[in-house]
Amino acid sequence: MAEKLLEIKNLKQYFNQGKPNEVRAVDDISFDIYKGETLGLVGESGCGKSTTGRTIIRLYDATDGQVIYDGVNVHDKKSKKDLKEFNRKMQMIFQDPYASLNPRMKVLDIIAEGLDIHGLVKNPKERKEKVVELLETVGLNREHADRYAHEFSGGQRQRLGIARALAVNPEFIIADEPISALDVSIQAQVVNLLKELQEEKGLTYLFIAHDLSMVKYISDRIGVMYFGKLVELATAEELYANPMHPYTQSLLSAIPLPDPDYERTRVRKSYDPANHNYQDGEEIAMREVTPGHFVYCSEKELESLRAISSSK
Amino acid sequence: MEKILEVKDLELSFHTFAGEVKAIRGVNFDLLKGETLAIVGESGSGKSVTTKSIMRLLPEHSSEFKNGQILFNGKDLTKLTDREMQKIRGKDISMIFQDPMTSLNPTMPIGKQIMEPILKHRNVSKSVAHKEAVDLLRLVGMPKPEARMKQYPHQFSGGQRQRIVIAIALACNPQVLIADEPTTALDVTIQAQILELMKDLQKKINTSIIFITHDLGVVANVADRVAVMYGGKIVEIGTVDEIFYNPQHPYTWGLLSSMPSLDTAEEKLYAIPGTPPDLLSPPKGDAFALRSDYAMKIDLEEVPPFFKVSDTHYAATWLLHPDAPQVDPPLAIRERMKKYPGSRYYEGTEGGTY
Ligand SMILES: Nc1ncnc2c1ncn2[C@@H]1O[C@H](COP(=O)(O)OP(=O)(O)O)[C@@H](O)[C@H]1O
Ligand SMILES: Nc1ncnc2c1ncn2[C@@H]1O[C@H](COP(=O)(O)OP(=O)(O)O)[C@@H](O)[C@H]1O
Ligand SMILES: [Mg+2]
Ligand SMILES: [Mg+2]
Repeated sequence: MAEKLLEIKNLKQYFNQGKPNEVRAVDDISFDIYKGETLGLVGESGCGKSTTGRTIIRLYDATDGQVIYDGVNVHDKKSKKDLKEFNRKMQMIFQDPYASLNPRMKVLDIIAEGLDIHGLVKNPKERKEKVVELLETVGLNREHADRYAHEFSGGQRQRLGIARALAVNPEFIIADEPISALDVSIQAQVVNLLKELQEEKGLTYLFIAHDLSMVKYISDRIGVMYFGKLVELATAEELYANPMHPYTQSLLSAIPLPDPDYERTRVRKSYDPANHNYQDGEEIAMREVTPGHFVYCSEKELESLRAISSSK
Repeated sequence: MEKILEVKDLELSFHTFAGEVKAIRGVNFDLLKGETLAIVGESGSGKSVTTKSIMRLLPEHSSEFKNGQILFNGKDLTKLTDREMQKIRGKDISMIFQDPMTSLNPTMPIGKQIMEPILKHRNVSKSVAHKEAVDLLRLVGMPKPEARMKQYPHQFSGGQRQRIVIAIALACNPQVLIADEPTTALDVTIQAQILELMKDLQKKINTSIIFITHDLGVVANVADRVAVMYGGKIVEIGTVDEIFYNPQHPYTWGLLSSMPSLDTAEEKLYAIPGTPPDLLSPPKGDAFALRSDYAMKIDLEEVPPFFKVSDTHYAATWLLHPDAPQVDPPLAIRERMKKYPGSRYYEGTEGGTY
């Protein structure tokens, strides 16, 4: 088995804790991310995907639980130097490439910001050369360095966001809906770019999305979230071939595919949490149904899921 | 079938500081009674401008209508006065947008907003309008409609707001409903509900729908016919099966190939190279030629006319000219064509067409 890069253990993120408007955005979730893989995270808006990403990268302090990166707890107190090094290793790419880029700054300075903070270049000439190299890596060119972010199209801005994240040689990138705002053909360009960079640089990705067809394409494994809980985790192939949690089944059955014949016969399943009929005292937890395929379920559900999958 | 709307040779430009943006460069299509026509194409291709020109919702000072006709039940909408147009908008033709908040007034209870078009366009009393508004809310699947009439837009979720906008759009049983990316901002499960709702309502009141989207899955779900737009023109139009299983224009090929299919494990996605054309100075010939692997010399010189593929299927590509060399479309497209009786890659045994 591949090496673990991150272990997320019983992570909780409650907003407005103890108040009437408390939101359990992330509610006791655990999973690992392996070195060099892409873990997709899907679920409907508000289910806690972004909060999970933001808590992992320490934009928020966790309410409870641990995020262990290469053996070190991310949320423990650290020296300034360790903190800086940690910030370099983990980078984030956002959905709205425009909002995340300062419109008043030249591309050169936007991309070089991280280089400056981490002292990765010695002089202006090296700085410029490094930025040009990054621009070329993401399919832009030297001339773009002196322009402003607002002069770029959506797809180009997302490339700038990627170049900026790459500048500091990160190991792990959290991409929060990086393609949701882009046209289909541009989505394909950005996804191809992310895949190429991963192979070249051995990057590890947490890829957050609500578009389920692109996520299958880019991910090795996929986790499904529902109201702050992780309800299913499996390899991408397995999740689409054998969705086990009724919420996952409902989500997959709702995706329209570019195939009119399939659309004429697609039957949508709806999910009603009440149908689980959990009894008081029943423990609901992530359980491994088949090797590598985890479902949030009760002991009783586990038995019947195992029975179903062994009869297949 | 009966034509309800005919768009003929539509040409429209915007005057900007940078110069004349030739946004619509000769668009032709018909909308038939009771059908859903989907318009697809990448952003900037002219989908919204085409439909806004039908509704006459473009800024008067910067947009210039250069040529063409928009016939609605035989009447040319481009020739109507603003007052005449107001009588049609929201009554005979109505429109819904991607962001429901662009159509809702945040400071007015939603019940009042649904009653507005009813009171404006139809000679009914307030109490009748109120009752109809409640019925409409029920029709679009709003629980406890009576109680929710007095609530404001911010008290509803995104999906519910889109239902309210649909209720307003349908208040006068329009003959044409234009939906511009109505589900793009919604989650898939909510999207599925809204699409089912629209199809249900269409059956009930026999409205014709123009549905703009860039999601090909949604197109396959809702459309009877599909128009593919590129660079201010329609480059291909046909029934939904013709466009998905027997596409002819290289741009349609690129569009269909850039979506990953759920059942295959491609190593690399096909991505259309380059960027959309600059409409300040549109390219000569076929506007897609510069990005196309299939471009021929003539594509860079002359605009291709529409070639007929079937009675319902037309594509503007020189590849269909009798003298053009026969080329093989990309693999993913040939796979699609295998399913289609009448395509030259058909592998089935059943005769005739769909
Ligand atoms: N800073 C915050 N303060 C309070 N509630 C928040 C905050 N950020 C997110 N939430 C709430 O937490 C939940 C999860 O949000 P989010 O992680 O953004 O979901 P997703 O990314 O899956 O759409 C939502 O109910 C959201 O309203
Ligand atoms: N008010 C406007 N002023 C200037 N140009 C405009 C205006 N509205 C749209 N355009 C231009 O017209 C072209 C078509 O736009 P639009 O119809 O909105 O595209 P889409 O297919 O994404 O809906 C684009 O090049 C766009 O920049
Ligand atoms: Mg989010
Ligand atoms: Mg548009």
